Amino acid sequence: MVIELEQGWEIVLRGFNKLKNIVEGLPEPQFTSEDYMKLYTTVYMMCTQKPPHDYSQQLYDRYRESIEDYITSTVLPSLREKHDEFLLRELVKRWANHKVMVRWLSRFFHFLDRKFCPRRSLPPLNEVGFNCFRDLVYQEFSGEVRDAVIFLIDQEREGEQIDRALLKNVVDIFVEIGMGRMDCYDNDLEAAMLKATAVYYSHKASNWILEDSCPDYLFKVEECLKREKDRVSHYLHSRSEPKLLEKVQNELLSLHENQLLENKDSGLHVLLRDDMVDDLSRMFRLFSRLPYGLEKVADLFRQHISADGAALVKRAEDAASNKKVSVAEEEIDLLHNKYLDYVNDCFQNHTLFRQALEEAIGSVRAINQHGD
Amino acid sequence: MTEMRKEDTVKLISAEGFEFVINKEAAMVSQTIRNMLTSPGSFAEAQHGEVTFPEISTTILEKICQYFHWSLQYASGKETEFPIEPELTLELMMAANYLHT
Repeated sequence: MVIELEQGWEIVLRGFNKLKNIVEGLPEPQFTSEDYMKLYTTVYMMCTQKPPHDYSQQLYDRYRESIEDYITSTVLPSLREKHDEFLLRELVKRWANHKVMVRWLSRFFHFLDRKFCPRRSLPPLNEVGFNCFRDLVYQEFSGEVRDAVIFLIDQEREGEQIDRALLKNVVDIFVEIGMGRMDCYDNDLEAAMLKATAVYYSHKASNWILEDSCPDYLFKVEECLKREKDRVSHYLHSRSEPKLLEKVQNELLSLHENQLLENKDSGLHVLLRDDMVDDLSRMFRLFSRLPYGLEKVADLFRQHISADGAALVKRAEDAASNKKVSVAEEEIDLLHNKYLDYVNDCFQNHTLFRQALEEAIGSVRAINQHGD
Repeated sequence: MTEMRKEDTVKLISAEGFEFVINKEAAMVSQTIRNMLTSPGSFAEAQHGEVTFPEISTTILEKICQYFHWSLQYASGKETEFPIEPELTLELMMAANYLHT
């Protein structure tokens, strides 16, 4: 007994409509195992009948067409009438529905995946299903969705409470729609997000650099880095962490390093003078994140020690009123040890700072000799 | 036969209405049955797990149940032979194809 195409298709279509209702949340009894077997069997028979009644190709095409029709007639209109956060919620819902639908349909049409698809080297059913969503829904909405995500991130940066779970679900779509590859996430979301991050922090930096002392500014930077790291762990993909933090520290630190360190009222010289150990440690921690970030700090450290040493020598000369007197070795050793403490306590015994110390003390000893 | 809990079993019904109650794990040797039992959302009788095969005769279905159990045993190391009467071969193969076994 041969099943004709339209005859068999009518059965499949009924199953498809039932599935649609279930997924849409309409009152529809669940599938029974009898329903399942009937659908599976119908597809099975239509694929194993002898030509010209082998309808594998038609079923494969109609599978895809049915999904496309559903998306075009129901999913897209519902998305088009929503915006911002509401769009995000609707998209998450529709994607979840879509995954359920494709999973069920693949089960009914399973026999195609077993023989027809591999034999013709065609994409398997679940891939076809996801491609439909990607080509029709994702294509149209990824830009708007991306902008809505970035908007919420900036809101959270400003201290607003946002729905992190929602953002995580949206980010997951960008990851899943890549179907094993990360290019959708990278190109359609991450790139713009990084750009927006740079803009946000560039703006903050230009305000803070005018208002804040160096230690206050650095404190804020450390807070920002902490918060951005937290953000990634909650709803971004972990691969974004290094790139995101790099943008933040570039805008906040790299571009303003000199201005911060050389600040007359609160820069490195002042922090050393006033023994602000915590702030010096923070300064080291932050600038060590930048490639070549410590060079400048070590250089200023060296200059500070040299200046301190030169003042020491000058005081000795002044005290001896015009007679060239040297400062005792012990005094210079004390100077050395005073700054060695900073090297150990604040600068983690880093080579650059040990070197800076030795060079500075060397130059102090040199001007001290010439005093004889 | 050892006592089996209802939740661990599934009932397979042949064309003639003959019922075979077998272990769920055994039944899932068939990919088709496995798919049905593990589909997302729930089936109306997910609790009862009854499947009717109007295309499969009692003799063949019985042989298939034997195959399921043999298959599990083979997988766990007991490498015995599975006897197939020649007159059943064709029908058995078709059923195996259908059940994706």
